[in-house]
This record gives sequence, structure tokens and C-alpha cells, in this order.
Amino acid sequence: MHIPDGFIDGKTAGVTTALAVVGVGIALRQLKRTLPPRKAPLLGLSAAFLFAAQMVNFPVAAGTSGHLIGGILVAALLGPAAGAVVVTAVLIVQCFLFADGGVLALGANVFNMAILGAGGGFVVLRGLQRLLPGQAGAITAVAFAAWCSVVFAAAGCAGQLAWSDTVHWRAAFPAMTVTHMIIGIGEGLISALVVWFVRRTRPEMILQDSQPAPLREVLIFGSLATIGLVVFVAPFASPLPDGLERVALQLGFEHRATAFAAPIPDYEMPGMSWAVGATALAGVIGAFLVFAMAWALGRVLVPSAAASERTK
Amino acid sequence: MSARLLTHHHGIPRSPIHRAPVGWKLLAGLAVITTTVLVPPHWTGWYATAGTLLVLAIAISRLPLLFLLKRLLLLSPFVLGVALVNAWEPTGRMRWEILALRSVICLVTVILIANTTPFSRTLQVLRTVRVPELLVTTIALMHRYLFVLAEEAERMRRARSSRTFTASRRFQWKTLSTVLGQLFIRASERAERIYDAMCARGWK
Amino acid sequence: MEIIPVIQVSDLRYRYHDGTEALRGIGFDVQPGECVALLGPNGSGKSTLLLHLNGILPEKAASHESIRMFGQTLNPDNVWQVRRRVGLLFQDPDDQLFCQTVEEDVAFGPQQLGLTPEQVSQRVVTSLEQVHLSGFEQRATHHLSHGEKRRVCLAGVLACEPELLVLDEPTSDLDPRGRREFKALLRQIPATKLIATHDLELAVELCSRAIVLDRGEIVADGPTRELLNDEALMLAHGLERPHILRHVHPH
Repeated sequence: MHIPDGFIDGKTAGVTTALAVVGVGIALRQLKRTLPPRKAPLLGLSAAFLFAAQMVNFPVAAGTSGHLIGGILVAALLGPAAGAVVVTAVLIVQCFLFADGGVLALGANVFNMAILGAGGGFVVLRGLQRLLPGQAGAITAVAFAAWCSVVFAAAGCAGQLAWSDTVHWRAAFPAMTVTHMIIGIGEGLISALVVWFVRRTRPEMILQDSQPAPLREVLIFGSLATIGLVVFVAPFASPLPDGLERVALQLGFEHRATAFAAPIPDYEMPGMSWAVGATALAGVIGAFLVFAMAWALGRVLVPSAAASERTK
Repeated sequence: MSARLLTHHHGIPRSPIHRAPVGWKLLAGLAVITTTVLVPPHWTGWYATAGTLLVLAIAISRLPLLFLLKRLLLLSPFVLGVALVNAWEPTGRMRWEILALRSVICLVTVILIANTTPFSRTLQVLRTVRVPELLVTTIALMHRYLFVLAEEAERMRRARSSRTFTASRRFQWKTLSTVLGQLFIRASERAERIYDAMCARGWK
Repeated sequence: MEIIPVIQVSDLRYRYHDGTEALRGIGFDVQPGECVALLGPNGSGKSTLLLHLNGILPEKAASHESIRMFGQTLNPDNVWQVRRRVGLLFQDPDDQLFCQTVEEDVAFGPQQLGLTPEQVSQRVVTSLEQVHLSGFEQRATHHLSHGEKRRVCLAGVLACEPELLVLDEPTSDLDPRGRREFKALLRQIPATKLIATHDLELAVELCSRAIVLDRGEIVADGPTRELLNDEALMLAHGLERPHILRHVHPH
């Protein structure tokens, strides 16, 4: 979902870039504080790893490994700040070297995948890790959180496309989220399998466990993700913009308001058209299904004797 | 997805474009892209101007056309997607042809600059504009080692397939997990050796 | 004036994370100007030993009585000075060649030494000449052949003008011509040399003395030809008598 140039307009590019800079800046500061110097090259090598992983053709993965974002994969191993920075590095290199993703759209892509995706997904990861017991639970958490990260990123992308008036929200949201709910399954599966392998063979390499993410980190990334959802998703999902427009009409400011309010004046009241509503419903059902699959994966990979062991 | 098109063409031909100072090239590219994105959609004059400039630049730098076309294909999913969706429900802001034109202009600009500029110079520019050192180093190391890791991954995958005598999916997933898991572990170990090598030459 | 040995190791011990003993009481000296080969099967602890010589190991930098470099015990304060004088060439050139271009990588060491940009430039040019890679400054490191990478790594180390050169398997993965060229380069470098290698011909050709390591212990230390001619010794420690000696009549 690397947005090319031209698909988002100036204001969207500006806002997303600002949010991305803030988010990545926070992640970098966090890393400077907590990452041991000996591990610093690991960020670059993890980024190279993600890129290399995308290149290997695994027929069984039906092409999903080629679209691996890897934010939660890295976050589960090295922490959320590392996840965000590594994904950012990958996106920057992809943009400059391969024109995969636009230059002005880089801010949006970074915001979607590194902040909304890796950051928002990390909140899910941490939450599930606390709720689900044992090794199996840890795998389930990674699988589901990785899936969520892809869906969050897709929702953000849809919001930005709609905000730019490129595509209607009621078309963009269903298209982006439904397709990525399916692609996300691959991401979840691959992330879980890799984390499982590393946990089994070289658990000492996992930095995330040795420095359990303090509540503060969870709050920071949670808030950034929430801001993203508020800015790019909520206006379309709530009846407020129509309300805003009515006010603007009354005050005579309507023609100027269109720059900031939802750009679809011909929405039928009461607000959500059937496509968007159906998508939201599909999302909820999908989430349940994916969670069930993630649960099953955890049980399959971890032999039942070890399944209920508390994670070290 | 872009990973498959890894042939990054450095262009040994020393054209004037290759030799132009990096800072100016990046600024010029940014200017073209920004203008293209911000101009009102109906300004065909701009598209003609930009298009001509780019065609000239491609000719001067002798960038292989086939290579360029392959990269342009990267755009197609998005363009097609938007075209389909807007056929069903037009937004009225921009026709998909204009959208495609704008994104092509931007993409060609990026490819032109990326392939006539050594990556190390681009990194220097990033440092000059005060991008945080940790991020620049991460990007630098990523660029340096992505070919190394990609080769390792391919070797491992081939070695595994040579020993796979069953078409069972479960086994193939196991292969995926082993190859990628090992790749990460090796990458981690290499990261530590790199740190040691830096220290050995005096890094503090 | 008493000559201070470049390396003095006595009863050096080291354990890996998982508890296995990598080095079990190693002891030897190296005098200035010597060229010593460090031989032994895989897993004998050669690389681990080499990493002790510039203080990279042990990880928790502590005062280490077992090692004296240039007459000083290694401690966290003087380890930086010692590193200026020891040029360590790693086994995998990709680990060591971490910059984007040849010029940047060779310049890395001199820059860390605090030299002026002109001095750094001069060192880069000189070292590239020494390894016969003049003109390679702007080449991208990931596009080099394996032999070229090894030579750039050597240049990067030579640019620091070290007194002691420590090399970990410098000719592994090189084709015969690459090996010949590299050996010729090494011959011309006047520094004291300690070379860990599987290339027994290199050991015979370049090194007057050989130390054989096996399972963390030194099992032999003496003139190279004598040791390598001892077939029983060689076979007992995962080595063999090199062909180059089989057709030489002992003088």
C-alpha cells in the first residue's frame, strides 16, 4: 500500500508528514536512550532483513511475503521504537531507490505503516501478551497484532485518499480494508512463524522481553495511533462533518469549509452508507476469525506441555 | 514487491546529469514533484513542460527505457484501483487519466535522480539537512547489507528446496519459518560483528 | 635496551555464553617483526583468541592480567590506544566493509584517529596503492568482488599504520590467483604479523613460526617447517602436511 505521488493532495501530505516526523522522532529518541550501542547496527540489519525477506519467493505464501511490512515482527523482537524506525528506513529506501511510494507521500506511508501499523499494532501486541498466557499466547499475540497492523495502515491509507478527494471514502475504505484484511493474514502468519523460530533457537536475541515496554511507551504509541485514526478515519465515520457543514452554511462559510470537512456533501443522512457499514461489520467478524486462527496457530506451534508455561 | 526489481541501475555512462551536484538534483526533483502535485488538475501546460524536460533528461543520461517501463508498472495497481473505483463512483476532482499522468511524471523524476546519483552522496545530503544520525546510519547499513542478506536468503532457500522431496504445504511453511528465522539470527550476529569491526578501527 | 614483546599472553581463559570453554590457559609471546601463523581446526578458538588482542573480548572490559600488548595490560582506559596500534582483519570482509564507498571505508580508521581531512585523504590514496586498488575510491562497496573486498579491508587497516597486523583467515574464499596476490601483498608489509589460517601453504611461505591451537589449548609452538613436517602432529589436530613440503628435501 505504498501510496504513489499524486494520489494525496498537498494538505494531506503536509499533515501526514508532520505526524510522521513527530512519531519517528519520538521513536528515535527512545532508541537513543534504551538501545545498547552494541545493538545499534541491528536496526540497519533488520531493515535489510525485511527487504531481503520480501525478495525471497516462497510459493506457499502466495506472494504475501513480498508485501511484508514487518513492523510487528521487528517490534516483537526489538521493541516498538525499533519497529517504527526499521519500517521507516525500509520505506525511505524503497521510495528513493525504487520509487515504490511517492516522495511527497512518504510522510503518509511512514505514518500509516510505521506509526499506525507498527505503533498501533504494538498496543494490541502488548495488550494480548498480558491477557494470553504462555508461549502459545505469545505466538497468538504476534499473529493477531501483525494482522491488525496491516488493517490499521490500510484504514489510514483509505482516510488519506478520501481526505484528498481522490477516491470516495465509501469506496476507499471497503476496498483498502477488505483487501488488506486478507493480505494481513500472510503478515500475521509470517511474523508469528519468524518470532516463534527465534524464540525457540536464540531467545537471548529478543530485546523486547529483556526490557519490558513500560506503560509510557504503550501510551505514546497508542496516542499517536489514536491521533491518526481521529484525523483520517473518524471524520468519515461520524455524522459530525455533516453537522459542521450545517453550521458553516448558517455562518456563510461553506465554500471555505470544504477544505477541512469531509468532502462528500451528498452523503445521505443519517451518515454511513451501506458499503462502509458492511465493511465495518466485516472487519469485526474478520477480527474474530483471525483471532481464532491466531489462537489455533499458537496451539499448533507450541506443544501442549509447554503451552501454558508462563512466558519467561 | 519492489524487491523483485532489485536491479538498481547505476549508469556508468558519465552524462552531465550523472555529474550534476547532488544537492541541486534533489532540489530540482523535489520542485518538479511538488509542483506536479500542487498545480490545479487542468493545467496541461505544466504536464507538457515537465514531460518534455524529463524526456530530455532521460535521453541525456541514457537511462535504459525498458528499465524505466518496468518501474512504471509498479504504479499500475494503484492507478487501476482508483480508476475502477472512480468509474463506479466519480469524485469529480480529477479524472483518472490526469491522476495517472501526474504520478507517472513524479515517478520518472524519482527514478531518473535515483539512478544517476550514488547513494552515498544522497546520504551525505540527508546528514546535511540534519536528519538524525541514528536514522541515517540505519538507512546506510540497510543499503549496504540488503544485497548481502538477499543473497544469503536465496542460498538458504535453494538449499532447503534441494532437500525438499514433498509438496506438503506444512513443510513449505516450515521452510519459510526456518529460512527467515535463520536470516534474522544471522543478521543479528552480523550486526554485532560489524560493531566489533567499528570498535577495532577506533569507533567510540 | 630491552625489547618489549608485541604480544604477551599467559594463561588466557575464556568461556562462551553457554559455558563452553573456548580458551583454556593459552600462553605465548610474539616479538616485534615476527610473522607467526596460528593454525588449528575449526572451533579451536583461533578467532576468539584474536579478538582478545585488541580488547574486543572479553565483553565486560576488565583489567586483564593475562594479556599484555606492547608491554601494557589491557584496561578500559588504554584499550583505545592499543587499538590504534593493532590492525585486526576480520574473517568475513562484509563485516568489516560497512561503508558505502571504498573511499569512505578506508577513511574510517584515519578519521577515528583524528587526522585532518588532508591527512585522511593521503592515507586513503597510499593504502589503496599498497593493495593495488588505486582509483577504486568511488566504487560502491557492495559491488566489489570477494577478492577486492578483502583488499579494501586490508587497505582500511593499513591506513591506520598499525605496528601489529592480526589477520583472521585472510585467504579463505579466494581463488588461487587471489591468494597469490594477497600473499604477495602481505609479504611487503613490514609490521609484525599474526595470521590465523587454514592455508598451510601461506603459513609455510610467509611465517617463520607457527602455533597450533586445538580445543582451546596450544599444542605446538615452533618453526613452521618443523611443525608442518610432523605428519603425526598435523593429523592429530585436524591439519595435514601441506603439499608444498612433501617435495622439499629437508636441508
